[in-house]
Amino acid sequence: MTDVAEGPLPSIGDTPRDTKARSDFPGESSMWFFVVGDLLIFGIYFIAYVYYRGQDHDLFLQSQARLNLDIGAINTVVLLTSSLFVALGTSAARAGKTADGVRLFVIALACGAAFPLLKLFEYIPEVIAGVTPGTNLFFMYYFVMTGLHLCHVMLGLVILCFIVGNLRGSAKPNISFVETGATYWHMVDILWLILFALLYLMR
Amino acid sequence: MTDSIATAPPPTTEAAPPRRRNSKLDQWIAFWTVPFFFTLFGIVFVPLSWMMPPRSPSSSSSQIVDFMQSHNLLIACAILTLSFGLAPLSNAVYLIQIKRMSVSPVLRFSVVVGSMTGAIVGMLFPMFCFGLGAFRSGYDPSILAMLYDFGYLAYIGSLGCFCVMWMAFGLAIILDKNNVLPKWLGYYTVWQYVTELMAAPVWIFKSGPFAWNGLMTFWFAMVLYVSWQMIVYVCIYRAIKNQPDDELENA
Repeated sequence: MTDVAEGPLPSIGDTPRDTKARSDFPGESSMWFFVVGDLLIFGIYFIAYVYYRGQDHDLFLQSQARLNLDIGAINTVVLLTSSLFVALGTSAARAGKTADGVRLFVIALACGAAFPLLKLFEYIPEVIAGVTPGTNLFFMYYFVMTGLHLCHVMLGLVILCFIVGNLRGSAKPNISFVETGATYWHMVDILWLILFALLYLMR
Repeated sequence: MTDSIATAPPPTTEAAPPRRRNSKLDQWIAFWTVPFFFTLFGIVFVPLSWMMPPRSPSSSSSQIVDFMQSHNLLIACAILTLSFGLAPLSNAVYLIQIKRMSVSPVLRFSVVVGSMTGAIVGMLFPMFCFGLGAFRSGYDPSILAMLYDFGYLAYIGSLGCFCVMWMAFGLAIILDKNNVLPKWLGYYTVWQYVTELMAAPVWIFKSGPFAWNGLMTFWFAMVLYVSWQMIVYVCIYRAIKNQPDDELENA
């Protein structure tokens, strides 16, 4: 029961329990390579979007007004909440409280799974109303970028499932894998924030 | 106790014949055909025929006729169809390395089949379309326009055919526990195939960033692809070099 003695709140970072020659990065360094590169690629797409938006500002503004801002906002909250639970779950797993970690990751997974469902409620009425990628350049960007992001979310959900399996499966879970997955999930989150700002909010 | 050990079959390691010095010669030959093939590819596509960078989907009828009926285009298509057989060699180089990975054979077979479907649609179809247009003079301009569309749509719109192949390749690298190829290359491959999916909109737009000569569908994907292809070859080169002799299959 010495576990209870976490009294003077050691901050999350300074108690790496398994100090087996860890690098400075949480998780695998190859995942950081992926995150940086992915942000770079999306960054280039965003710049291209802003450029073409500048070419035909009115069309983009009018089209943007037809987006469902409510679902977009709810999805932002959902994703941020999920990310919060991923962060809490990771620190629980690091501190060796695996059972708490599992619970927190399951909540994160549930929040994350709500994202594609809500997205479906966003896409279907649009397509039924005749708004498709072929409508105009804005909607092509909208469907391509949100679709690409949705692929990232789906992959992230698979990774979260593996994390839960990893935490439940073994007595000594692979913390590095948990951190790697968490890193990916936070990237998905950041991408959505930029995407939401650019596609839904930017005037 | 020593008796039972003595009856065991003698270790067979000494029985192997002394290996030739360059036991990887087959792999190196296959490997070096690849840069040759891609150089030829580049020369034929760009300075010889100007098929690439892709011409605009909204070119005027006379521009299309000029392009489709040019003599250089015919030569380019003939060369490419002739050298098409070299393409499988690059896949042989990949496959030998994937076979060393600790992953399911499904991934290996996906690479084989994916590369076949991709190459047929993405390379043979356009070569025949462009070659056919250049073969005989006096075709009706509307027929030439259709062959032109067919050629470019097959060439650029088919990039998705390669997607599963590279997805399997990337997944094999990421899941592999033998460290045959570096992990980050697996992630790089993921970007490569995701940008190939971006080719789908070329079926919708005839101008702008999502047309077949557009910034999003062609240029970004091409920049990523060319750098990726070069890096893959450097990594494959190192993988062949590091492959221990006892893992070779051509004993």
